[in-house]
Parts: sequence; structure tokens; C-alpha cells
Amino acid sequence: MNAEALQLASISAGDPEAFGHWIAGVEPSLRRTLKPFAALVDTEAVLQEALLRVWQVAPKFVPDGKPNALLRFAVTTTRNAAVSELRRSAPSHEQLDALEHQLAQQQAAQPWVPDPFLREAIAECRKKLPRQPSAALEQRLSSGGTEDDAVLAARVGMKLNTFLQNFTRARKLLAECLKKRGVELEVR
Amino acid sequence: MATAEDELLIEQVTSAHRARDLDGRVKSHPAWHDLDEAGRREAFEATGLARVLEAALDPRGQSTTAQAVLARIRRG
Repeated sequence: MNAEALQLASISAGDPEAFGHWIAGVEPSLRRTLKPFAALVDTEAVLQEALLRVWQVAPKFVPDGKPNALLRFAVTTTRNAAVSELRRSAPSHEQLDALEHQLAQQQAAQPWVPDPFLREAIAECRKKLPRQPSAALEQRLSSGGTEDDAVLAARVGMKLNTFLQNFTRARKLLAECLKKRGVELEVR
Repeated sequence: MATAEDELLIEQVTSAHRARDLDGRVKSHPAWHDLDEAGRREAFEATGLARVLEAALDPRGQSTTAQAVLARIRRG
């Protein structure tokens, strides 16, 4: 049994750790799949919904024997979730035609392998952040998407707008610091 | 060029936190609805970059999107 088959077996058996490991490798590809929908639906909500559907279906998923079977299934699930969400807003024929054209041009999704140099550079740049932007970033990271920004802001004694401004600063300062190190961040 | 107000909306949308509806479905962020098309596209790009940063800073390589989904799964 190869690594992908082993991982799929663990996910199908209901192992959230294995599913988390799989998500870490495929999230950038799935997010890129949603780019044509960026102005039409909240892609973050759609992506989370799609990942939950993949988890629910995984125990019954039968791979077709070709590489990246679960990723390919997840791409289809993600697109379907986006189309389903889009239909709720009654899109125009022009919007749907443009969408179909963009989706047809997308390349096959591939798993993402993390770059250890990028990891080290980001960690170094994070250490140089001023106190307030650093605190805002830390809150977002440690909450793991489970708490509203208003809760995070209150926890560090900031008003919501101040918290958001500090988070913007953190993002921009990190990007500047990385650029100085020759790292240009891009969505893969 | 995004206005200061747009920037605040975009920053809210980059969060992985999403509420659920009564059926348990993931809801759109309220701030996303207040953005125009250009703002929504900017929010998409900013979110993608934020997730790359988050994944790189997490020992398991998981972004806050991954963590939010796993938290949801573990809650059942």
C-alpha cells in the first residue's frame, strides 16, 4: 500500500489527524480552484463546507486507482459547493458562461509540499513584528478560526477596528520583511 | 485601491471564523456581503496569502482554515 492509500485508509477510518495532514497538503490547490468564484461567493465558507463534505463521504469513498484520487474528488466537491452557493443568488447567464470558461482552463490540482526555507523566513520575520501587530497575529493563529474577531480583540484589550488595523499591519510588515529576504509570497 | 473602510472589511473576511446556520452549514462572513467585486477579489488573494503564512507558522503545517474544519469535526 503506498503513502496515499495509507493516508486514505486512515481518513476513511475516521482519523481526524490524518485528515488534517491531508488538508495541509491540498488546501492551496482547493482554494485556487475557487478563484473564478472569488467575487461571487464567500470562498472561505465554501471551502470549509466542501472539506466537511469530503470528511463525511470519505468512509464510502472508492479511489479510482489514479494518483491524488481524494484530491480530485475534493476539487469536484468544492466546485459543486461553490455552484450550489452561487445558485442561491440567482446568477446571470453571462456570469455562468464566464465561470464555465475559467473553470475549463484550470489545470489539474496537485498536492502542495511545504518549503522549509519559507517556514524559517516567516518565523524570523514574525519575531521582528511590533508588539500590537504581533498580538493581533498571535490571536488569529492561536484561535485557529474558531473565534470571532470581536472576541479576539477583546482578549487583547483592543477595539475591533484597532485589532483589524493591527492585523493588516502584521500582514504587510511580514510581507515587506520577506521581500527583503528575497521571498515573494504567492497563492499557489 | 481599497479605502480604509474596505481594508477593515477585507481583514474581517480573511479570518477563518465562520458562523453556522441552523442546519449546521457554514455561513458567509457578513463583511463579505459589504464588499464590492474588487474588494471580494482582494479579500480572496489576501486570504490565500494569510493561509500560506499560517500554515508555515504552524508546526503541523495547518492553516486556520484546516484548524477550523478539524475543530468542527472533533465537536461532532
